[in-house]
Amino acid sequence: MGERGIRIHGLQKRFGSGDTAVDALKGVDMQVAPGEVVGLIGPSGSGKSTLLKCLGAVIEPSAGQMTLGEEVIYDQRWKVKDLRALRRDRIGFVFQAPYLIPFLDVTDNVALPAMLAGTSNAQARKRALELLQALDVDHRARAIPSQLSGGEQQRVAIARGLVNRPPVILADEPTAPLDSERALAVVRILNEMAHQFETAIIVVTHDEKIIPTFKRIYHIRDGVTHEERGEGRDV
Amino acid sequence: MISLAGRDILHAWGKFVFTGIGLGLLIGVTLVMAGVYRGMVDDAKVLLDSSGADLWVVQKDTLGPYAESSSLYDDVWRGIRGVSGVDRAANVTYLTMQVRQGGRDVRAMVAGISADGPGTPGWPPHLVAGRQITRGHYEAVADIATGFRIGDRLQIRRNYYTVVGLTRRMVSSNGDPLVFIPLKDAQEAQFLKDNDAIRQQRRRTAENPAFSRPGVPGLLAAVIDSQSRNPYVNAVLVQIEPGRRAEEVAETIRTWKRLTVYTRSQMETILVGKLIATSAKQIGMFLMILAVVSAAIIAFIIYTLTLGKIREIAVLKLIGTRNRTIAAMILQQSVALGVIGFVVGKITATFGAPYFPKYVLLEPLDSVRGFIAVLIICVLASIIAIRAALKVDPAEAIGG
Amino acid sequence: MRRLPVQKRTLSLLAVLIPLLALFAYVALRSGPLAPVSIVLATVAEAPISPALFGIGTVEARYAYKIGPTYAGRVKRLEVDVGDQVKAGQVLGEMDPVDFDDRIRAQEAALKRARAQLVEAQARMSYARTQARRYEELLKARSTSEETVATKKQELAITEAALQAAREEIARVGAEGEALLAERGNLKLIAPADGLIVARNVEPGTAVVAGEVVVESIDPASLWINVRFDQIRAQGLAANLPARITLRSQSGEGKAGRVLRVEPVADEVTEELLAKVVFDKIPEPLPPIGELAEVTVELPALPPEPIIPNAAIKRIDGTLGVWRSVNRGLRFTPVTLGSSDLDGEVQVREGLTAGDQVVAYSEKALHARSRIRITERLPGTQP
Repeated sequence: MGERGIRIHGLQKRFGSGDTAVDALKGVDMQVAPGEVVGLIGPSGSGKSTLLKCLGAVIEPSAGQMTLGEEVIYDQRWKVKDLRALRRDRIGFVFQAPYLIPFLDVTDNVALPAMLAGTSNAQARKRALELLQALDVDHRARAIPSQLSGGEQQRVAIARGLVNRPPVILADEPTAPLDSERALAVVRILNEMAHQFETAIIVVTHDEKIIPTFKRIYHIRDGVTHEERGEGRDV
Repeated sequence: MISLAGRDILHAWGKFVFTGIGLGLLIGVTLVMAGVYRGMVDDAKVLLDSSGADLWVVQKDTLGPYAESSSLYDDVWRGIRGVSGVDRAANVTYLTMQVRQGGRDVRAMVAGISADGPGTPGWPPHLVAGRQITRGHYEAVADIATGFRIGDRLQIRRNYYTVVGLTRRMVSSNGDPLVFIPLKDAQEAQFLKDNDAIRQQRRRTAENPAFSRPGVPGLLAAVIDSQSRNPYVNAVLVQIEPGRRAEEVAETIRTWKRLTVYTRSQMETILVGKLIATSAKQIGMFLMILAVVSAAIIAFIIYTLTLGKIREIAVLKLIGTRNRTIAAMILQQSVALGVIGFVVGKITATFGAPYFPKYVLLEPLDSVRGFIAVLIICVLASIIAIRAALKVDPAEAIGG
Repeated sequence: MRRLPVQKRTLSLLAVLIPLLALFAYVALRSGPLAPVSIVLATVAEAPISPALFGIGTVEARYAYKIGPTYAGRVKRLEVDVGDQVKAGQVLGEMDPVDFDDRIRAQEAALKRARAQLVEAQARMSYARTQARRYEELLKARSTSEETVATKKQELAITEAALQAAREEIARVGAEGEALLAERGNLKLIAPADGLIVARNVEPGTAVVAGEVVVESIDPASLWINVRFDQIRAQGLAANLPARITLRSQSGEGKAGRVLRVEPVADEVTEELLAKVVFDKIPEPLPPIGELAEVTVELPALPPEPIIPNAAIKRIDGTLGVWRSVNRGLRFTPVTLGSSDLDGEVQVREGLTAGDQVVAYSEKALHARSRIRITERLPGTQP
């Protein structure tokens, strides 16, 4: 797979211990190639949030293996010292709600992860502007988030997730609040970005409107995943 | 890297400045309270400085003339004048009483100064308007804190006095403004009461059979006459020859004249240590309380501001912001609030101080100390908020 | 590209912050010890001054008379009351004879008795002489003893002495009688001189002791003010200087007068000089005795010399002097002072020349290093 792409093998997560232990993940296998957009579908309580949190290096799995590109980031325990840097540089997040920083303008919101990574302000803003152009919201570059529509905010959030060119993007219900036209627009953007930046994108969703667009889908139930071919409809 | 604190402040600057102003008023009140304390100590000392005296000679074993009443015969000064080392000695009387002018009463300390002229101990050392007293009776120099103006007619006991000069910051250790009148008039005022009381006294004396003897017609008149004189003063102010030590001259007077003598530093101890000690403690306690309240309010404000940003903080953590950066943001906001508060507080204190009924002395060193205290309080207050912020789990951002 | 919202925001924030900081800077520099002390200067000018002395006194009458009986008695009648004008010799009242007439009668009876005793003494003496002569004859005839003759002679001597005593007794009683009569004549209270009755101390019917004052009168033309001047401020006080007299009940209206004399004995206890000042014209209506008066004695005007207001005089480290404004700084200049007038102008004999600028008024005490700000008038002193 090279430097990008994500591979997970036998991931387990147990909460608590002894009699009250809960096994949220019982052995998850997943892999996503760079440029691929896969769906992760499952009912609530199936462990999909837990899986996302493990993938996002926000919580520590109990067992298994996670590889990001060439690097094994987790093998029974974290193999990377600075998880925060991992999140900042290698993983992009797109949430259900845009979660933009209300006191920064759109450009700075997008540029922030790059600035945090050490890029100069000018360079970071330049990169941010390029992404905004790509997502067709550059006309809102100096506005503050409260002045944007929901769809615009979501696009800005996607741009933010992409600014550090992470190999992996984790999208958690990105289309939930949107209508079908906008939802499909988001999916289209994700596909374009994945292709353009060679990013592996995992989209957690139960939105019926967009599920048909995935070429590959992972179903998760009771802490175990199994792969399925999707419809792969064009957007 | 941009300044997150700066952006946040800029974004909600109205709320920030408004909060800063509110805080500033509290800080201003605290600064004024400190100023009241300093003012009280200054009040206690200003009379000592302005009297021009090196030594105070008072009735034996009293703490007079300011802290306790003291009476000396008015010819005692002559003996003191002859003591080696004494350059000048002058009688002086002090009495706190109501002074009437027009339709109103003002509480003032009436000081009786001996007839010699400007430069005599007890005389006002500098004026802000008018002239010093030239006539031996019925003229007065008043402090502007009384509200009197040049030309006003004051009534003190039964006599009327014309204000011929004004002073500034001539106050008693209580903060009552001074009115200077000639010594003889002051002796009469201190002693002679109003006409009703005088009639009563004459009647009592006349009814006393020892004084109304038929065979001695002039006796009653002579007794009443002697009752109407006041040969007492409250203290003798002494200036010593240049080059002599105050304590040495004081000791000579104590030994040879058997009177109580205080040097400048002893008087200061009496006034500051005894007279204003209780009030000073009260003010000090109040100051402490205000400081604690200010600290609590700053902490509360910063904490609330931070809590309102919990979600943003979670997102920031998730997208990789260091704990250090987040902590710095909170700290910078706290300090910025403190600085605005202090600036507003210092301005309100300076402009509000003259309107306070007591004298408020704002020393720059106090302001510097206050500024440092505000900064320290801001830093400490932000620690609580920072702890809350650091505890935030970035996983919160990812919905369940 | 929307640039406006951010810029406007920054601008409004600056619009608030910049005045705030400016105010703060002003406050820091203008108050506290960094602030300059405001002062008002006075220019020393050469001018003449008219010194004057000020004292207070009471209205008194130079010639005042206290009239009363020379012995204890009861007042029978008074003819005059307060405010009456009387002439010398006028009868003002009379004391009650009380028992006088009885006493005179008693005296007359005593005189009569004394005379009767004289007659008795004379009779005794005649008899004793006759007896003595007879017994002398008998002695020549050797009909009696020497001793008997001696006894009779002695009896004669005794009666002669008794006769003398009786004569003296008559004289004595007579003198007493005359004294009583004289006193009886003294019952009248007589005005010793022209004047105005100012007090009527007892009413008829009251018993009084000898020397008690019944009626007081004064000579209204002899009204004067008994004035006291502080010794330390009474230089130049002398007789015949013009004076201005302001009575307490007529404050504002001064009457002309002059100093009659300066008392040779001063008041040692109160450290005052005493003087008598008279009106040029006694005012009508007469000012009451005992009323307070303020007296200003004008001394001759002095030739021009540099003068300064007395507000400028300070004593620093024992030396009397003024603060001179020199090159926007201050320098303490010792001075020697001369006479002063009642308006606060003082002559400077040494230390200053005309044209020098001295500090008349200052907000605070000054030092050589004080930062100063010269103004026309200090704040808070508007007339």
